[in-house]
Amino acid sequence: MELTAEEQAMLRGELGEPVKRALELQLEVGRFYGAKRFVPVTNVHMMGDIEVMGDSGLEHLRCLAQARVRCGVAVTTNARCFDFAYVDRLGQDPGEAAKERELIGYLRQMNVMTTDTCINYQTLYQPHFGEHLAWGDTGTVIWANSVCGARSNFEAGPAALAAALTRRVPEYGFHLDEHRRGTFVVELETELDDLAEWGALAKLVGESHQDYFAGAVFTGIKRAPTADELKHLGAALASYGSMALYHMVGVTPEAPTLEAALGGNRPTDRMKITRADIERVFAAYRNPDGSCNFVVFSGPQLSLFEMKRLAELFDGRRVHTGTTVFITTNNGVLSAARALGYAQKLEAAGVAILEGVCVYILQNLTRMRAANGWTNMISNSAKIVNTITAHRFNTILRRTRDCVEIACTGVFR
Amino acid sequence: MSEEGFSPRYDLDRWSGIITKPGHKLEGVNIRDKILFFPSAKGGMAAGWAFHDIRAKGIAPKALVFGVTNPVMVQGAVFANMTITEGWSRDPRECIRTGDIVRVDPAARTIQLLKRF
Repeated sequence: MELTAEEQAMLRGELGEPVKRALELQLEVGRFYGAKRFVPVTNVHMMGDIEVMGDSGLEHLRCLAQARVRCGVAVTTNARCFDFAYVDRLGQDPGEAAKERELIGYLRQMNVMTTDTCINYQTLYQPHFGEHLAWGDTGTVIWANSVCGARSNFEAGPAALAAALTRRVPEYGFHLDEHRRGTFVVELETELDDLAEWGALAKLVGESHQDYFAGAVFTGIKRAPTADELKHLGAALASYGSMALYHMVGVTPEAPTLEAALGGNRPTDRMKITRADIERVFAAYRNPDGSCNFVVFSGPQLSLFEMKRLAELFDGRRVHTGTTVFITTNNGVLSAARALGYAQKLEAAGVAILEGVCVYILQNLTRMRAANGWTNMISNSAKIVNTITAHRFNTILRRTRDCVEIACTGVFR
Repeated sequence: MSEEGFSPRYDLDRWSGIITKPGHKLEGVNIRDKILFFPSAKGGMAAGWAFHDIRAKGIAPKALVFGVTNPVMVQGAVFANMTITEGWSRDPRECIRTGDIVRVDPAARTIQLLKRF
């Protein structure tokens, strides 16, 4: 890689050892991907919580904080593994909770804004077309690239933090024009009527094209999708397909036409998605023991619009005895949801609203599952249906209304 | 040798080193000290921190050999000082089986079958 004078100075240690090591990490990744140089970034979003980083990650942050490093770009954080108001109720480990508080302290010392959200693009930072970013959460990068026409690669915790220290990223992947052209076509022959159906579409498209550089171009959209529909589509495409970019003709900014979206690429294939294909996704989930006592609206955190809809569906109803319903969202949305009365309606129905977390990353989740007798997790999010599985949940995708019905009746459908 | 892609969060118990996702093609396998071949990487950001974490816990694999991978896997492997490769000149399933002893040499870009039991 060609280095600027400033980057060479970083490598000599002139901006301190932590910045030097950060650039070295980025150089190694850049070399892997054939990057020719670095590109400056203007916003960073990073994952950092004790459940994923463990004691060795905490030690890494401790050293950085002790070295008095300060991030040189605005940095926000992803959802974490503790809502501190729920540690005892959920049977989480107080020792790990103490480490999480310590971790948050180190991040704040480094000038990181601990926003605890995976929907930063909805509630915190809205990138402009072409803006180079270092974002690291499953749904955020694909949103930035696809819906905003901004430019980011997947930047995992330490890589995002490195970008925050060096203020740049290696120029590879989606920072480059050549990777932003669509590579295959998806022709929609059905309308999608629920967030879970957008997720089912993403599962079909992502699982069959599991490749970071595969770019789906969706055609046949009959009506303008909402932000939450695109959120569910993108988060699930990223999760099932390891994808960072899609185009939707007439909707996303780099796809005014199919030709523009493909940018001269000959599509590797064309998928047709029919109503029957979507129904088959839902029909394929199994429920061997018939239980349905764990219903989750999470992964991604909910927007204010999703909170409103659920408040309307749960209004005047009660969660079935013995059933647990979790909603997760961020601090900003929850505040607005309280001001507008949505949170109160949900809590009156017996729904638990967790702040700053997503269910599948909760600390102690495997033991929590066993202790509560949760064999199945039912959700309207295709993404969380894909991500919570190592904790040995059997996961089932259901439409939003069906999730609410199951939660209130205790009867699986 | 896996016929299915990999995510350390979706598929792996990061305390025991066992693949615990119900129905994963490698379900029940302990990845400690293994050389793992995956056709692809699944989504998610966890590998960035998680590879370093499982290394520290002594349950990390020796190397990850991917058909196609993603930057999170690479970033995580670099941070954890773990061998990672992407791409192969022929499908390893044609010539390598679970249980074989292989040598991965990233500098030479070769994978050699050393011993079959």
